[in-house]
Amino acid sequence: MNTKPDSPLDELGKWEIQVRKGGLGLAVLAVLWPEKLYGLEILRRLDSQAGMSIPEGTIYPLLSRLKAEGLVDSEWVEADAGHPRKYYRLTEPGRGRVREMAQCWRAFAAGLERLLAPMEGDSK
Amino acid sequence: MSPNTSRDAGKAHLDTYLHQVQRHLGGLPDAEARETIAELRSHVLDKVAGDFSVRAIEAALDELGSPREVARLNVTERVAADLEVNRSPWRVLSAVGRLASLSLYGVFAFLVSLFGYALAAGLLITAAAKPFNPRHTGLWVQPQNSYSVMLGVTGHNQTGNELLGWWIIPIGLGLGLLLGWLTWRFGLFSVRHMRRTARA
Repeated sequence: MNTKPDSPLDELGKWEIQVRKGGLGLAVLAVLWPEKLYGLEILRRLDSQAGMSIPEGTIYPLLSRLKAEGLVDSEWVEADAGHPRKYYRLTEPGRGRVREMAQCWRAFAAGLERLLAPMEGDSK
Repeated sequence: MSPNTSRDAGKAHLDTYLHQVQRHLGGLPDAEARETIAELRSHVLDKVAGDFSVRAIEAALDELGSPREVARLNVTERVAADLEVNRSPWRVLSAVGRLASLSLYGVFAFLVSLFGYALAAGLLITAAAKPFNPRHTGLWVQPQNSYSVMLGVTGHNQTGNELLGWWIIPIGLGLGLLLGWLTWRFGLFSVRHMRRTARA
């Protein structure tokens, strides 16, 4: 069997996927902050607002987990499209959680930014 | 093909796909499985936005993934979420059982868990029963076949050589608890492992 090591580009790609996966829960909760949305709308907003293009099949299991944790709630609504849609909204504990997660994320990103600052304009 | 025929063919294609997903959703309660199917149907109908041709439906389904993958993702994520709430040995065994039908590793994990808990229970019961029925409780090996081992409480006199004697109490308790704990840890690891591989 050929066990060629991954190229640096593959490694970078894997790292990027891990980073995005780590932030996905926060991103989904954050996108629900202003209003209730259904699954496809959540996917489209993640893509258009954050450049997060995730496999479509993964969104519903994630929403189901967030619902089981009590962070989001859902309801079926008869839509103009002619079929019902399942809308998700943040619960009060969900709003609290997304605030805390956002705080953690910002502190982490700010720390990382400080570490990366010396690289700005340094061509070494 | 007339527009109506094309529309029917597209809808039939979607129904077949959803039926296949449902077949693999055995690890979910019925109401949740029905809701999952309804949500997937709604997703595809939104995606095709009125174009029910087979080609449009197929393109939408391709983006969701194969029926088995979609079911596996839904079940593993739900089972793993349940375990975050309650990690008792029974719940862990039940979780591994719910995932058993989804992959070969699931079957393996379920069989190992069953064997591990059964052996742990056997050791603990034997250790607990020894003081009350010492002649019929213990660990025996047959003299003519050293691979034939009997552990537990029997209703008749054993012809084999008893190993351990009264030591079965501390050893049975210690080994039983250790094996039960290891099996529990293995179950938790297996559920997380299956969740990671389903997401990958």
